[in-house]
Amino acid sequence: MSTPSSLSGSLNWKVAGVLVPGLLLMSALPASADKIQRHFKVDARPVVTIHNPNGAITVRAWTKSEVMVVATRATDQVVVDAEQTGNRVDILTRQVSESASPESTRADYEISVPEDAELQIHDDSGGVNVSNVLGDMNVETIAADVDMADVAGYLTVKTVGGSFQCARCAGRLEVSSITGNFRLIDLRSTYVRAQTSEGNILFTGQFLPNSTYRLKNYNGVIEVRFSPEDSFDLSATSLKGKVHNEAKLVPPSHHHLIPHFGNGLFGSYNSGRAMVELSSFDGTINILKRN
Amino acid sequence: MSGANCSAFLEQLDQWMEGERSAAAEAHIRSCAECSDLIADLDSIRDTASSLAATDPEPSERLWSALRVQLEDEGLIHAANPGIADSLERWLRGTFWVQPRPVLAGAYLVALIAVGFALSGSSSLRNDSDLWMSRTQHSTQPLSASLETEEDAISSIADTNPVVTASLRRSLAVIDNNIALCEKSVREEPQNEFARDYLYEAYQQKADLIAQVTEGDEGQ
Repeated sequence: MSTPSSLSGSLNWKVAGVLVPGLLLMSALPASADKIQRHFKVDARPVVTIHNPNGAITVRAWTKSEVMVVATRATDQVVVDAEQTGNRVDILTRQVSESASPESTRADYEISVPEDAELQIHDDSGGVNVSNVLGDMNVETIAADVDMADVAGYLTVKTVGGSFQCARCAGRLEVSSITGNFRLIDLRSTYVRAQTSEGNILFTGQFLPNSTYRLKNYNGVIEVRFSPEDSFDLSATSLKGKVHNEAKLVPPSHHHLIPHFGNGLFGSYNSGRAMVELSSFDGTINILKRN
Repeated sequence: MSGANCSAFLEQLDQWMEGERSAAAEAHIRSCAECSDLIADLDSIRDTASSLAATDPEPSERLWSALRVQLEDEGLIHAANPGIADSLERWLRGTFWVQPRPVLAGAYLVALIAVGFALSGSSSLRNDSDLWMSRTQHSTQPLSASLETEEDAISSIADTNPVVTASLRRSLAVIDNNIALCEKSVREEPQNEFARDYLYEAYQQKADLIAQVTEGDEGQ
């Protein structure tokens, strides 16, 4: 059901102004770099898997019932496989020679998918960028940063050293890392669990009613920004670090339930409709008013 | 519940996990939070394991030895009464027998850690700081040794991408540093559950990372 690959790029004088800078950019690539474009017709809620050990992956939603894959290989030391099985499209970068250098095995992807697509992405190094996709997503990287915007669904992101940024994300979010920083901007998620060992976590978003927000690190800064309309129960503990708070909290009625280790802060803000749990071993926790 | 009852229950662990449950064991589970938590952890491990595909063999003898040493250090087994270790080993072997090697590496190490920490809490003398420290050390030392051995094994893996290799090495160093900091805190405040939880999670992270590296290498 897959279509044959074809070189992209139909010359058009009207877009020469755009192409010229593009050609200049391509000239920076190794001589054997090439671009491959493929199209796959799909039904509702297709599954798209991308396994690319080295290179950038950019995924955007569009209105067509089609998956378009544009792959740019650095050299012929890597092979790009893209095939369709039913409503699933699998994209894989394979290294031809084990002795090839990292530069020669790089492959970059620009992929367009229906907005209800489910994504499974594995990228060791390079970078992952996803926008406007509303299906569930699972992203795993080692060193690659992950950048998402305007996405929803059940999002699970796991990096080793890559940072993670999510802007205007909704749905459910679970993200973990060892040395990555997290920036969770203007979130509208009903469940957030974010854990990193040596990294900062910034949360600016709505604390939705009946929702849970758990942010945790070993060291670094955890910062949440709240607005006067927010309503949450707060638990903030740093064993060795400090907790700074600008929220006027009502202390909990059951004092015996409060842990007595480290520097802790517990209480309700407004009627306590969301649950916010912040914990750090050696880091600083800031609970600040949103500007 | 006394340690003796816990020991009796743990000797029948594999039978319990296979659904053969005596009235005494059920009564013990209802009243013993530690054993109940351990069963919950093992149920979770089994559920995870059963959802994975099957292909390849069992864990190394080195890891079984580490678990046995840990149980001996806990005082839950000794040469004349190896029933608990045998029971647990039978169940873990049965559970992990059919798992693929990379999955097994992480899941088994996490299981080892979970069991180790669960057992480390089976003390009737919770208020004794020296005992807490002693038990924590006894729980973590064999785990640490096992993980270091696995880490040595993966250090020879040649990744062709220096960015990836640097990230993995830095992360391992960060986790090791966190483990050291947590252990220091536990030594200073042996009853500090917060520090113990962070220590537990640091070991889990290390096991996960080692499994991830092993899986990546075998997948190439």
